[in-house]
Amino acid sequence: MAPWMASGLIYASGLALTAGSITLLYITTRTFNFAVASMATWGFMLAYTGVSLYGGTPYVYLPLVFIAGSLLGLIAYYGLNRHLLRRNAAEITLMMSTLGYDLILLSIVQMFADYLTLTYKLYPRRVMLSAHDFQLFGERAAAFILPVIAIGLLVALHIFLTKTKFGIAMRATIENPVLAGASGINPDRVYMISWVISGGMSAIGGAAMAMAITGTPVMGMNTIPLMFAGAILGGLHSLYGGILGGFMIGLTEYAGVFYLSREIGPWIQGYRMGIPLILMAATLLLFPRGLAGIPWAKLFGNLFSRKRGDN
Amino acid sequence: MLRIRNLNSGYGKLQVLYNLDIDVPTKGLTVVVGPNGAGKTTLLCSIMGIARVFSGDILYEDKSIAGKLTHTLAQKGISYVPQMGNVFAELSVLDNLQMAGYLSKKEDAKAKAEQMTEIFPVLKKFIHRKAGTLSGGERRMLAIAMGLMKDPKLMLLDELSTDLAPIIAEKVMMEVSRLRDELGITILMVEQMAKRALEIGDTAYLLVSGEVRYTGKADELLNEPELCSMYLGIKQADDKGSSFTLSATDEGSDQG
Ligand SMILES: Nc1ncnc2c1ncn2[C@@H]1O[C@H](COP(=O)(O)OP(=O)(O)OP(=O)(O)O)[C@@H](O)[C@H]1O
Ligand SMILES: [Mg+2]
Repeated sequence: MAPWMASGLIYASGLALTAGSITLLYITTRTFNFAVASMATWGFMLAYTGVSLYGGTPYVYLPLVFIAGSLLGLIAYYGLNRHLLRRNAAEITLMMSTLGYDLILLSIVQMFADYLTLTYKLYPRRVMLSAHDFQLFGERAAAFILPVIAIGLLVALHIFLTKTKFGIAMRATIENPVLAGASGINPDRVYMISWVISGGMSAIGGAAMAMAITGTPVMGMNTIPLMFAGAILGGLHSLYGGILGGFMIGLTEYAGVFYLSREIGPWIQGYRMGIPLILMAATLLLFPRGLAGIPWAKLFGNLFSRKRGDN
Repeated sequence: MLRIRNLNSGYGKLQVLYNLDIDVPTKGLTVVVGPNGAGKTTLLCSIMGIARVFSGDILYEDKSIAGKLTHTLAQKGISYVPQMGNVFAELSVLDNLQMAGYLSKKEDAKAKAEQMTEIFPVLKKFIHRKAGTLSGGERRMLAIAMGLMKDPKLMLLDELSTDLAPIIAEKVMMEVSRLRDELGITILMVEQMAKRALEIGDTAYLLVSGEVRYTGKADELLNEPELCSMYLGIKQADDKGSSFTLSATDEGSDQG
């Protein structure tokens, strides 16, 4: 692998999950969830706590991380979002409420970090979680495992949404809440489940990103612009678009920094976040509806039919 | 089965319906007719908990359901076929039927869906296609099938015949009266094909600008030439000169 690629893949997998989480929640509940920032941080913090106190690799703690993220999602839903949705609150209100929730989670994560320091002499304010990784094919194992986990979650989600009755009911509610209600689908349940899934995805995403970047209690806050960039690049209305968007943003950041600092100088490091954001802006100028708006089928369809020569 | 008392309702701050009193007797076919924008759809939306009820009451099986959440009404056996947005465009025809049978057991829903594809063979042909790719008439048939999937006690039907070819529209009307006669389903039907609906209906309400203008036997409304020509564009056999009143109803338009 090229030097940037391992870290890039790890980081991109984490961003893909957080961007997917933002998108899923937006298409189901109209809520832009700023709290993904601290949900992601909590994901990292719990994985770190696990490896520090009980040993092992960070991966064994991922199921726990997912559950914790889901719980944070449930609290957000029953504590805030549900009441606002019932009152048909405006999107801006829904969004601001998650910002408040994010600040609460951020405060608690800071307290938790201090608690770890005071009680266990751990220092969770500058963590290289990758130190707990192992080697696979001469690379950090995370470069293989995390993309597989991200894709696995995506496939599982796809199967859930297309093959199970409740998953189809979720898609029905996303498309036409009135008709879904008239069919007897309880929208409350749909919103609740999407908070559970998206909370879990955010937390896993945060733990994954911390395998590539330095884990800190403000890690989520520092990277949330890119999580949203991924969701926006994906077109905001397609879950798969969001996941792909997050992945592209993460990968271009690492590839961009690597090649540009070689070409034009290492000062570009200071602007590393700008690289994927420029890519996002350029893509949206060409395809205003984001990745999901690109006529992939047409592009590939043409490609294939030309190959077969039956056109 | 359904009694509406002094209902005032609308959307947000906008009031659409004023002091409505409507009775839907059990196992009867009640028809609501009226010009575009009269508030017919709003009436059904108020019952289903979609529009906002300002005051008054809606009693279903003698219990108030005003302001109840939509999905709980579906659980109580009310099936609603909306005028617009009545299928899930992104889902396949099969998934649409499955969603309509959401509250039934899996085997029951399957059997019921099978039955629907027999009544509407086009649905069988397109069973795996996205509903959004169906023609207007095919979509309407899917919507009706979805309404029937629910084994309802009360059906709220909003302009079923719109988009349908006359021969299919007639078939649908026959089907509606069969639902009442053979399955004993109580029906509240809004219809643009006023004449035909009033012929098969039991009681009728004429709704104009959010208020009830006529209450009584359905076929007797047809004997009110003034109301008929003014609001419904139904010409009496010997009346040739009423073409301009026709514009008040325009049979085919569907912009509610
Ligand atoms: N969701 C809504 N929000 C605000 N106003 C609405 C809404 N739906 C309908 N209205 C208004 O309420 C009034 C009644 O509309 P409604 O759809 O009930 O009429 P209708 O009798 O069903 O007409 P049509 O025969 O065209 O279907 C109209 O003036 C319409 O503009
Ligand atoms: Mg209408």
